[in-house]
Amino acid sequence: MSLLATALADVVGAAQVLARAATLQVYRSDALPGLRALPSLAVFPATRDELIDVIRVLATHAAPFVARGAGTGLSGGALADGITLVGLHRMRRILALDPVTRTATVEPGVVNATLTRAAAAHGLHYAPDPSSQAACTIGGNIAENAGGPHCLKYGVTLDHVVAAMVVLPDGEVVALDRGDDGGYDLLGAFVGSEGCFGVVVEVTVRLTPDPERIITLLADFTSVDTAAEATSQVIAAGIVPAALELMDAATIGAVESSVYAAGYPRDAAAVLLVEVDGAAAGVEADVVHLSGLLRDAGARGVRVAHDPADRARLWQGRKKAFGAMGRIAPHLVVQDAVVPRTRLAELLRTIEAIGARHGVRVCNVFHAGDGNLHPNIPCDTDDPAEADRVHAAMTEIMTACIAAGGSITGEHGVGIDKLAYMDALFTPATLDAMCRLRDVFDPTRRANPGKAVPVHACREWHAVPAARRVVA
Amino acid sequence: MTTDPTTRPCALPGSPLAQERAGLDACVHCGFCLPACPTYLALDDENDSPRGRLLLMQTLLDGTIRPDDPDLGTHFDQCLGCRGCETACPSGVPYGRLLEATRATLMLHRPLPLVARLILGVFAREWALRPALAAARLVRASGVAAWLARTLPARLGMPFAMLASTTRPAAPDWTATGDGRRGAVTLLTGCVMEGLFLPVNRATERTLTVNGYRMQSTPGQVCCGALHAHAGDLETARALARANIAAFESGGAAQVVVNSAGCGAMLKEYAHLLADDPAWAARAARFAGTVRDVSELLAAAGPTPAAPSVAPQRVAYDAPCHLQHGQRIVDPPMAVLRAAGGSRLVPLADADQCCGSAGIFNLTQPEVAERVLAPKLRRIVESGAEVVATGNPGCLMQIGGGLTLTGAPVVARHPVELLDADYARGTRRD
Repeated sequence: MSLLATALADVVGAAQVLARAATLQVYRSDALPGLRALPSLAVFPATRDELIDVIRVLATHAAPFVARGAGTGLSGGALADGITLVGLHRMRRILALDPVTRTATVEPGVVNATLTRAAAAHGLHYAPDPSSQAACTIGGNIAENAGGPHCLKYGVTLDHVVAAMVVLPDGEVVALDRGDDGGYDLLGAFVGSEGCFGVVVEVTVRLTPDPERIITLLADFTSVDTAAEATSQVIAAGIVPAALELMDAATIGAVESSVYAAGYPRDAAAVLLVEVDGAAAGVEADVVHLSGLLRDAGARGVRVAHDPADRARLWQGRKKAFGAMGRIAPHLVVQDAVVPRTRLAELLRTIEAIGARHGVRVCNVFHAGDGNLHPNIPCDTDDPAEADRVHAAMTEIMTACIAAGGSITGEHGVGIDKLAYMDALFTPATLDAMCRLRDVFDPTRRANPGKAVPVHACREWHAVPAARRVVA
Repeated sequence: MTTDPTTRPCALPGSPLAQERAGLDACVHCGFCLPACPTYLALDDENDSPRGRLLLMQTLLDGTIRPDDPDLGTHFDQCLGCRGCETACPSGVPYGRLLEATRATLMLHRPLPLVARLILGVFAREWALRPALAAARLVRASGVAAWLARTLPARLGMPFAMLASTTRPAAPDWTATGDGRRGAVTLLTGCVMEGLFLPVNRATERTLTVNGYRMQSTPGQVCCGALHAHAGDLETARALARANIAAFESGGAAQVVVNSAGCGAMLKEYAHLLADDPAWAARAARFAGTVRDVSELLAAAGPTPAAPSVAPQRVAYDAPCHLQHGQRIVDPPMAVLRAAGGSRLVPLADADQCCGSAGIFNLTQPEVAERVLAPKLRRIVESGAEVVATGNPGCLMQIGGGLTLTGAPVVARHPVELLDADYARGTRRD
């Protein structure tokens, strides 16, 4: 064992430090297995004190590290390339849950859905609901500023975080808040920093009261275009649905073949899943309005689900759609991009044309209400020619989204997967500002090095003679 | 950083795992299986999770990890094979088959542990199995099992507590009558069921009789081979499967009924097990189609409700993994319990999580089994149930033994036992 491994074992016990390549393989990927990097060490603290001590030991050894929750990320953000991986999955205690203030204080490894289950007894839930909520952790959600279908109405993770205790990469423990009492919103800077600013030790999040009534509509369409146009009409009508999701035929087929079959019509070109919630009277009125509107917009049929079991089934299909695509081909390339909602139909046509030109099949399942696309390509990347075609198609898709005034990530983060697009989206000055913000939290750049913002964008990196540059 | 290699060499060509490779390809690494995995929750390492083990299988095939790697073997040894991940997997990864194929592949490079070889050897041989079970009954009847469970340290005492928990109060010996309108069925008597749970087998026959099935016996049955298949000894499992298929074919009953979830799941897998055997593939497929869990047959028949009791006991249902995940049978056991007038169902949290029995897992991996069982016992006590009902001998013994050791005032029973007792009560008109 290395000196570092020994020092870490002194903190957490030898059983919670992995140092052999054979036992580290399972930590080489997140939920994008096409991207791989083997950590040199993995360490699993179980308590707040252990985590702080682990980060301090790493600081003493000037060792770079990557924090990891459940490894459900979709941008390679939790990959540790030859450095130490700090797994937070053992820190899964809910420390406090206060129904009066409607807040919960949790450790970073608490699973998103576990928190909602714990809050259910009080008629509350944790609103951000990424599709991976059954497995993903609150700590990971904070790193990525995770969204989910319901962030259309309820906002993303940042809107639900009240305060956090974080350990900075140098081992200093600081309390961050939203700056409501004056000062900067440092927590706002931390949330979504993709693990580059430090590690969450404890976080207090807001819990949301369960709405009095929730109704889910499933509208099916004979063309993707019509479905996409319908989303704009729903928003234009002044209704803010709790969620507004689109799935195309390829996605429907994959879901309906899985254990999460939701009863989506297999012969539809696309379905929209629309949820409205709130006070009972208002919701009932919205449903009548929406049903008519969706039909007028070209829906072939509109199914209305009141019953919680029926609604849950409709949602399970949507949330497990990404996983279900595994049955189409040996590999799956997943993307995340945002475009102006009014241009959804146009972009979907462009994406289809790009796919056709490169001979790949694009499956679309996304947050239509937010204009947050997820073009996924099931493929066989063992076939070098196919891998090249998939890569070319994805690059063109992302370029088209940027050209349409969109962005390269809605919720998955940049990680390493999307670093290449950062220069197309931001000016050098903006990227440099990001580097300097990072320096405030992590001047030695040891926390999740090489992610989120391309290193070459940082000006003072260029100021250092090449011979002295340390690239972790 | 590297991207996925674009060539696909196979380090173990022709191995059982290589033959199942297509199933491995379905995994997209989404991680939805993690919260469904009892050993991941107990051991906190992705090497002990379904996603991790699937990745280890890939590294075996691509040669990154050698099959004799000691850590690798441990992580596969520590898998319960509960298949809870299969009902969480959107992509339909056939984890159970992949696990068996991996173990069969590893067996070529490292022998099974002695305890496992001993147990599997006994179960594969009728001449050894019968005396072994008779000896177990003697240890149980003499009170030695209960005494050792009380006096030995918990880990050593657990096997004896499990054995002691199979004791039943004097069986409600009554004669069931029925019109047989649903046709002839034959019972897989099973090794442990007939050896240690004899009253459950008789209760199974009586409840089926009441519900219109005509019981027919099938001589020549042997162990179903589930223990062998799960351990990776697929050859022994295939030999046992052939013997059973032949025996049941000559019996001629339309349906084979099983009251042990693990055995039932195995019989239904015979088609896959013998798919590459030209002489047996068609026979195995036909046979597998005739297999039903007892709860399926009872639910199909209603079942006939027993008279309600004035003071029903609180019953919690714990789903055997090989019923819930292996056979995807969820509601029929509840239908059986709802028909039992002497039972009032109470909800049991995490009833779909494994109890840690997993065939012989609790004997080969006692420490992990204990850690998986602990939350199960807590949930049972929290439910306020007086009886926990579950339709598998392993689960009955693991939960029953655990309850005995912790002194919880709860007993473990098979759902048909409860229905049978209520039918018996009805015939006595009290």
